[in-house]
Amino acid sequence: MTAGPSPPRARSDLPGTDDLAHTPALRVESLTYRYPGAAVPALREVALEIAAGELVLLAGRSACGKTTLLRAACGLVPHFHGGELEGRIEVAGVDAIEAGPGALGAHVGHVAQDPETQVVSTTVAAELELPLELQGARPASRARAVEEVALALAIPHLLERAVDTLSGGELQRVALAAALVTRPGLVLLDEPTSQLDPVAGDELIWLLRRLNEEWGVTVLLAEHRLERCLAAADRVVAMDSGAIAFDGAPRAFLDWAGRSDPALETPAARMFSLAGLAPLPVGVRDARTQLGRVASGEGGRGPTVDRPQAPLARRQDPPALTPRHPPAATLGDLWVELGDGEEAREVIKGADLEIGAGERVALMGRNGAGKSTLLRLLAGLVESVKGRSTVPRGIALLSQNPGDFLVRERVGDELPGDEGMAALRVVGLEHTVDADPRDLSGGERQRLALAIALAGRMDGEQLPGLVALDEPTRGMDRACKDDLSELIDRLASRGAAVLVATHDVEFAASFAERVVLLGAGTVVADAPAPEVLSGGWYFATEVARVLDLAGVITPEQGAEVLGAGGGEGA
Amino acid sequence: MRSPFAYVPRRGPLQSASPGAAVLYLGALATVAFVFSNPLILLATGVAVTCAGLLAGARRAVRAGLRMALALAALIVAVNALIVSRGETVLARLGDWPLLGRVDVTAEALVEGLALGLRAAVVMVAFAVYSACVDPDRVLRALRPVAGRSALTASLVSRLVPVAAADAGRLRDAARLRGPGAAPVGRAPMARRLLAGSLDRAVDVAATLELRGYGHGGGRLRPERRGSRHDSRFRLVGAGLLALTLAAVLAGVGGFDAYPTVEIASDPATLAFAGLIALSGLAPRP
Repeated sequence: MTAGPSPPRARSDLPGTDDLAHTPALRVESLTYRYPGAAVPALREVALEIAAGELVLLAGRSACGKTTLLRAACGLVPHFHGGELEGRIEVAGVDAIEAGPGALGAHVGHVAQDPETQVVSTTVAAELELPLELQGARPASRARAVEEVALALAIPHLLERAVDTLSGGELQRVALAAALVTRPGLVLLDEPTSQLDPVAGDELIWLLRRLNEEWGVTVLLAEHRLERCLAAADRVVAMDSGAIAFDGAPRAFLDWAGRSDPALETPAARMFSLAGLAPLPVGVRDARTQLGRVASGEGGRGPTVDRPQAPLARRQDPPALTPRHPPAATLGDLWVELGDGEEAREVIKGADLEIGAGERVALMGRNGAGKSTLLRLLAGLVESVKGRSTVPRGIALLSQNPGDFLVRERVGDELPGDEGMAALRVVGLEHTVDADPRDLSGGERQRLALAIALAGRMDGEQLPGLVALDEPTRGMDRACKDDLSELIDRLASRGAAVLVATHDVEFAASFAERVVLLGAGTVVADAPAPEVLSGGWYFATEVARVLDLAGVITPEQGAEVLGAGGGEGA
Repeated sequence: MRSPFAYVPRRGPLQSASPGAAVLYLGALATVAFVFSNPLILLATGVAVTCAGLLAGARRAVRAGLRMALALAALIVAVNALIVSRGETVLARLGDWPLLGRVDVTAEALVEGLALGLRAAVVMVAFAVYSACVDPDRVLRALRPVAGRSALTASLVSRLVPVAAADAGRLRDAARLRGPGAAPVGRAPMARRLLAGSLDRAVDVAATLELRGYGHGGGRLRPERRGSRHDSRFRLVGAGLLALTLAAVLAGVGGFDAYPTVEIASDPATLAFAGLIALSGLAPRP
């Protein structure tokens, strides 16, 4: 794409305007890096050049080196994290290894995964002003820069708010604003949508695209949910075991992923691939356009298909929900209020819900809709002000941060004895009994925390009536999500109802038979998953958005509808 | 849930006043409490800080501050009554106690404890109002030109304290959610985990500060010159309180002796002084 005009800069240490047009925003040469004490390097012979004005998506499985590359690009590696580094990194022509993160602050902005640890001030206005203040900017220019960045990110109404009153989405925007307020040429984002609901996540991606197009900001974005951002990217860089495995255009990336690492395929691309259609689509709009062309016989290769019509959709209509007895959890006209005094607010407003034994239910809704509160209420961590809730056969709740369950340095010390081993067997971690929980992968830590919540609650083979998981897929790649789906199936097959609060529509489509959608504390939809996840704009899977057919939500279902048979493996 | 003492941005005069003016006003009230032991003056100061907090919209902070302060005051009264046996009016003879020896509860010791407790309560409520109404970022910004690194360290700590409190709450919840077959979480493992988590958080926040340019040193930090139209009001009342306090001390107003018998000055000058102190609590009215 063509870069927009860069904002005027006053810094004398920047290259001249003529040089700027030719200086890459980021140049990495033969970069190899090993964290202190690590057995293997986190980055291996990485070579990469990103031109000014590009929006580049950094893809790859968990622990493949994405975060480390971003840290190196902003100078935190090796200056802050230590370790051994070979090779060279330049940001806007400045040697990053020599300059360090402080000096690079004028050229590069960094937004990490957890916005909670990226704010250092009490109010939003002070947070945005801090970087300018540290650079010695005058009060008048600080005020203007804060105003402009707040307008650009649509957060002027937040300026006077205290940061600890912001939602996750708001906090992420503030962190992005703080990274952009000095008008850096390059902004690095490490899974910025992992804690956001689909609405806020999509908004953030399109905001980045707008900043890229209108301000000419170069963007390097690491993400797991590729279906969200592939259409906005100019280019994709995929990493594997610390090295760059692919570097090219989004469509070529999908071809490569289909051949080399199917876990990185987007749902729409997988659907096309299963249906034998080509080229693979980089987004919903692209997929719809191609299907339109194929249906009208204008082009494309693969089988000729008709654009699916309503009769096909009716074939996919899900069965109506039939309550299963005995119920694992029941809520009746439930009201929950959090906070007190002036800050008291109703979080759950008259919720009615029944979850049957063995059901797999996804609890969805935007940030702040009341999902976590509902789970905490079922687990007895908060009380209702009105209504009733019963969990007859008990509940095991895994809260949002599995690390909160891990307080010892050996798995076997967390889960001693036969009961502990039984719990480890349920989650498939019996081989890790002597490991340090901190050495486990993110997915394994999640399963260990679940085992801790389940331990001793299995009389014979009987699990608690309800197993609840709160946002279990944050930061997980698709392979980890598939493992979690299997675990959920195993728990449900043993009679436990599984209730998962999640923002991840694709994950919900993979495991849930029913979806409960919360909106501002009330149940706004409660129906079979195919019905809910194909009936909206935001809480719909990519396949559902492409095909717009009731009940068709997964790539396999989509491929079947497209007429090429969905039975092929990936 | 947020701490009741956390700063809440509002549009009230006390919140929009510059840190110097707000600190002068609330500091002057705390000074009165430190200088005088007369319960009438302490009560008037307590009325003033409570009134100031309520008018500034810091009802939660005042309520929480009063709850804590009254508990502390009651403790001080009880301890003083048991430890100090001076005074002529013996209310109860409790015999010989281990370590304390002979314990006589006197009316004078109770009144002295009450005065000490009132003083502590007034200072605590004043601090609660300060904490809820004065923007810590503006205070630290005002301090940066004179102590830049200390101010930033204070920023870091002030940010990490509520985060650590939230972490502790989550860890407690997770401990309650553990199955009966998992090893129970004692205080020591919990404290170790909280400390380790806080260190991780501190590293993340420190990395953010590095990226914002802290490690680079930056340019010369420029002091904030923005003020508020309410500054003069708080400066005037704060300076007036300090001047009045000095004059009252020099004139011997507001005397108080607990021993051998309780003598609380309640002459017209003392009552007038107490009345003015109480009226100063109206300064934050919109």
